[in-house]
Amino acid sequence: MKNPSDYIFAAAILVFWFFVPQSVSAQNKYESESRLQEELVPAKALYFIDSLQTGASIRWYLEQGLQSSSIEAKFTSKRQNHSVEFDTLGNIEDIEVEMKWSDLPPTLQDSISASLKGDCENYKVRKVQIQYSGSPSSLITKIKSGDLKEGCTVKYELVVKCNTFSDAVLYEFLFSDTGEQEGRSKIVFKNSSNLEY
Amino acid sequence: MLSHSAIAQGTYRAGVLPSVNFNYKLANQWSVNFKVESRQLFKTGTFEAEYNTNYRYVLTDYSLLAAKKIGLNSRLSGGYLLRYRDNEIIHRFIQQYTTVQRLTGYRLAHRLAMDQTFQSNEPIEFRLRYRLTGEFPLNGESADPREFYVKVNSEYLNALEDATYDLEVRLVPLLGYTFTPRHKLEIGLDYRINNFVTGSGSHSFWTSINWYIEL
Repeated sequence: MKNPSDYIFAAAILVFWFFVPQSVSAQNKYESESRLQEELVPAKALYFIDSLQTGASIRWYLEQGLQSSSIEAKFTSKRQNHSVEFDTLGNIEDIEVEMKWSDLPPTLQDSISASLKGDCENYKVRKVQIQYSGSPSSLITKIKSGDLKEGCTVKYELVVKCNTFSDAVLYEFLFSDTGEQEGRSKIVFKNSSNLEY
Repeated sequence: MLSHSAIAQGTYRAGVLPSVNFNYKLANQWSVNFKVESRQLFKTGTFEAEYNTNYRYVLTDYSLLAAKKIGLNSRLSGGYLLRYRDNEIIHRFIQQYTTVQRLTGYRLAHRLAMDQTFQSNEPIEFRLRYRLTGEFPLNGESADPREFYVKVNSEYLNALEDATYDLEVRLVPLLGYTFTPRHKLEIGLDYRINNFVTGSGSHSFWTSINWYIEL
């Protein structure tokens, strides 16, 4: 190394190595989603998706969080994005179908809007999904024929950009079919330093 | 944009551009970014035939930017870059706006930046630059830990120095790997061309190696 700058650069590399153990141990909550080969999907989940007879091509994903993991099948049917979530044994958990905010019943829109105004100074709904859960047979009936059988629960999951006085945050809200707020979680973005600098 | 003859008559240089990029979050939506980047030359010449293969250390940049999140996906940054080149110190002030779009299956980032470079016995150089970056995970819908991704930068730099204008275009395809949520490594080509608006073009081919660290 002939130039003093080389020494500073080398020192920066050493500083990096110094920080490696801290960075690894400082990991906190994150969720990762990776593609899953169909051969690795539990037979129970494959059977359920076959029963829907969508004719669509299915993309399988493994979602891993620190607390739990799940398997997700994604496909597009009747121009709507569908997401079917299973536990790791292949038991159905719920089906989510993307829809437009304007397609929600007006009374439901009003209830949800009133709730969101309580949480945010102003907000923008980014994504709406109707969520069906219940017995496998009731879910299959719902997806195949559109009929809502008894035992099938309907909820709404919304991704909302919520502005407060000091911050802008993306939340995932869960609402009942009457518009009561049942849950709210902050969506934590993956860092984007490698895109910004 | 470039004719075959412009490339054939142009000059080129090739080398390596390793960088380490530290990012640290502060309170109240502030963060700081510190970057060290070295430039080392392995080969220079013209496309006709002549070339020089002597290794030469070129420069090292140290930059420190303070950034404030101003929206859900956008950030304003400002800072200072110090460049060591041939035992000379060059000063650069940087202002930039970045916004990141998180789309299904990929992310797009836009960066609009200005900088002013001060060097002894040289006029001030003003630059206005725009960069579009795409990040495309190779597994799943986002670049998660222990997964590879492809990142592509396309940047356009307008430079004005002593009433002389030049445009530089950069294209940077990179293969990235996310070790942990706090560590990413990228390697690829950093191709740059300038002096092609009025001249015959100066081409640079750098092997870019970038390490991003969240402290």
